[in-house]
Amino acid sequence: MTSAVVGSNLLGDLLSRPRPAEWASLREAAERRLAGRELPTTSDEDWKYTDLKALAELSSGPALKAAVDISSYLLPEMVGTRQVFVNGHHAPHASCSSAVPAGVRFFPMSTASEACHALGTVGEGAARDLFEELNTARFVDGAVILVPKNLKVALPLHLLFITKAEAPTVVFPRVLIVLERGAELELVEEHHGEGAYLSCPVVEIRVAEGAILHHERVQREDPEAFHLGTLKAEVAKGGQYHSRTLTFGARLSRQQPWVRLAEGAGTTLDGLALLDGHQVADTHSFILHAEPHGTSHQLHKCIVDGRARAIFNGQIRVAPYAQGTDAKQQSRNLLLSESARVDTKPQLEIDADDVKCSHGATVGALDPEELFYLQSRGLNADDARNLLTYGFAADVLTHIPVASLRRTLRHLVMARTQADSLGDLS
Amino acid sequence: MSTTFNVVTSQEYKYGFVTDIEADSVAPGLNEDVIRFISAKKGEPDWLLEFRLKAYRHWLTMTEPEWAKVDYPRPDFQKIVYYSAPKAKIPKYASMDEVDPELLRTFEKLGVPINEQATLAGVAVDVVFDSVSVTTTYKEKLATVGIIFCSFSEAVREHPELIKKYLGSVVPATDNFYAALNSAVFTDGSFVFIPKGVTCPMDLSTYFRINNKDSGQFERTLIVAEEGASVSYLEGCTAPQFDTNQLHAAVVELVALDHASIKYSTVQNWYAGDKNGVGGIFNFVTKRGLCKGKASHISWTQVETGSAITWKYPSCILLGDDSVGEFYSVALTNHKQQADTGTKMIHIGRNTKSTIISKGISAGDSSNSYRGLVKVMPKAEGARNFSQCDSMLIGQTCSASTFPYIEVQNRSAKVEHEATTSKIGEEQLFYFQQRGIPTEEAISMIINGFCKDVFRELPMEFAVEATKLLSLKLEGSVG
Repeated sequence: MTSAVVGSNLLGDLLSRPRPAEWASLREAAERRLAGRELPTTSDEDWKYTDLKALAELSSGPALKAAVDISSYLLPEMVGTRQVFVNGHHAPHASCSSAVPAGVRFFPMSTASEACHALGTVGEGAARDLFEELNTARFVDGAVILVPKNLKVALPLHLLFITKAEAPTVVFPRVLIVLERGAELELVEEHHGEGAYLSCPVVEIRVAEGAILHHERVQREDPEAFHLGTLKAEVAKGGQYHSRTLTFGARLSRQQPWVRLAEGAGTTLDGLALLDGHQVADTHSFILHAEPHGTSHQLHKCIVDGRARAIFNGQIRVAPYAQGTDAKQQSRNLLLSESARVDTKPQLEIDADDVKCSHGATVGALDPEELFYLQSRGLNADDARNLLTYGFAADVLTHIPVASLRRTLRHLVMARTQADSLGDLS
Repeated sequence: MSTTFNVVTSQEYKYGFVTDIEADSVAPGLNEDVIRFISAKKGEPDWLLEFRLKAYRHWLTMTEPEWAKVDYPRPDFQKIVYYSAPKAKIPKYASMDEVDPELLRTFEKLGVPINEQATLAGVAVDVVFDSVSVTTTYKEKLATVGIIFCSFSEAVREHPELIKKYLGSVVPATDNFYAALNSAVFTDGSFVFIPKGVTCPMDLSTYFRINNKDSGQFERTLIVAEEGASVSYLEGCTAPQFDTNQLHAAVVELVALDHASIKYSTVQNWYAGDKNGVGGIFNFVTKRGLCKGKASHISWTQVETGSAITWKYPSCILLGDDSVGEFYSVALTNHKQQADTGTKMIHIGRNTKSTIISKGISAGDSSNSYRGLVKVMPKAEGARNFSQCDSMLIGQTCSASTFPYIEVQNRSAKVEHEATTSKIGEEQLFYFQQRGIPTEEAISMIINGFCKDVFRELPMEFAVEATKLLSLKLEGSVG
């Protein structure tokens, strides 16, 4: 067993875990690329604002199978369409796929590894992050979703990743989603946990011609946990990928969505991070307009309280000859406390001339005039502040298609912004 | 349907001639002896030689920055001539009559008024030719109100206490690779000192000219405005057309004390290389202003049209409470030019304000990037920034990028950044043609409209020059 990675016990420990038997060549290739790599530091431009020092100290015991009570995570629309993974292992008793429509395949990767030849092929040629490589080298199990041609799945699917760490550990959730031509799907992916651990999920998505995927992603890890996730999506001609990533948990988290758009393809990549205490939440997104007439819209909002830090690095690249591209990117940040901090860097790189591209970023506190207005209508100062804070967050939640999830998240945001004292605003 | 935007040749570079003038140069290469030679040649005090050597020793430990979106062959620092001066019997001309007529003709050709009688504009000019300042006009007149405006070498001799106090106080000798190199080998430049309460009665200007084929230009500009003083300063530059690249690594430092105001305008028209990207100036410049005093004000306006490679970020450190920093920029790239330019606004004091307006125009195969940093420190209560960065693309093979860094550590700050990218619409052009305005003229008008917010910040003479320059540079590039 090689532990060629130097400079960090964490990496060495992880690679000294036994290599699972499936996908041997994929894992070997990842290990080769990992040789000599170290945990990034803040002198790496990509990690300039996100310090992983605390992560290097995390020890990594094995991720054991555990029993969990999932009742609080269940959503009524998706009772019979869920797959649950605990500590990286499939949890068959907690999962239920009785209501999954015929034709859709939604199963744990470990049960049919041979079917997943697409694994590890999304975003080939793009830079691979260290944590993505680690996942490939050592993931144990994950979910596969295959939707056949022209099938529009009526019920949303539910993916639950739960980590229960008695002792510090590292888990590698893995997801592969393939939508064939003209297929449509709604998916809810949630991450919950207890204890001190690192979760490194990798999600690979292929959206074929004219297919549409709506993807809601909720990160509610333990306040002591780390979450470093990678998502790669390739959207074929006329296809659409719409995602919304909601960050509530983890002491340090990073989302790295990467989306490639073919001709006429579209994406929305929205995000909301609600941070307090010493939380750090980082989003590094990359949208590649590789072919003409693609559309991308990105709205990323952060509400930062306590001593928390929000980081946004959003890159939009328009390849040569990707004419007719329409790209819009917004980074909006609300600072609620003296010691909160925001670092944002929206970026446009454009190599075609007939394009409509814009980006914007704002950082600031609540508008005193808006606060005054609400007070003039009889709200006290705290309620006015909380209502405006909730309102800032709420527009990201408005379009969540799954009603019960939308309600749950609204209540969560209301509680976090203390707007719940104003009654039910949802 | 699309009109083909053909990129054909642009206007020839007008200032590409070489002046045949005997130069007094040191052999190419860089080592401590060369630095000692420059320092001795200038008759510098020991502390300044020490400053240079310290910078050089630090520079040796540094590596060239690679983060900018520019791609060029790394200069060989041992092939550059670090000192080149027009040969003259007397170190500094006592009057205009002693100036080499060849030199005078050069500046006449460039349209720079160095003959006081002949000037109409009433702009005081310091003229720097390769490594030395040739002449400074209107010195006496300025001296009557206590303003010091002279070449940097002269300032070192005449006002060493001021130089010692302010040199390196804004851009430390170890600041970055090119600033360190400049600190080690700088040869001349301009020094401006506006005493307390004085408003400079005329615009001050420095004209830089690189003439020697193998020389680099490493000038140093230092402008100090004391309490309540104000000054408007203009900088222009040209170079002959060579098929090799020359390095220009300048450092400009501005210091504004309480209620002082400095307005610094540049029209940069170094030789950009030919249309295949052969030759041209590497323009690696560090410009930084320190708003040291309360309610001080520093404003940078730049029109960047020349140079093969531009790497330049005129910045403001807003230290004094209520201080204001501004950056207005038009950067135009054509053919194979590459520009990575922008600004840094560091908010430290309370109620500090900054405005960034950047207009990038890329044509041909060029690459034009805006890179900026707005940083609000924890104590910068009430800081305010507004940034607007627009790009215009002309042709299918050029590229435009925007890299704004925004770092906010104070919740009372309000920071806004906007960027858009567009092209000259066929419908816009059609509209102009319909009204009988030819395409070339229409494009020039559209570009001028696009750059209006920046041009109106320029002093009048410069605004006229800039407008003309942009249309010349783009002439024939759209059709």
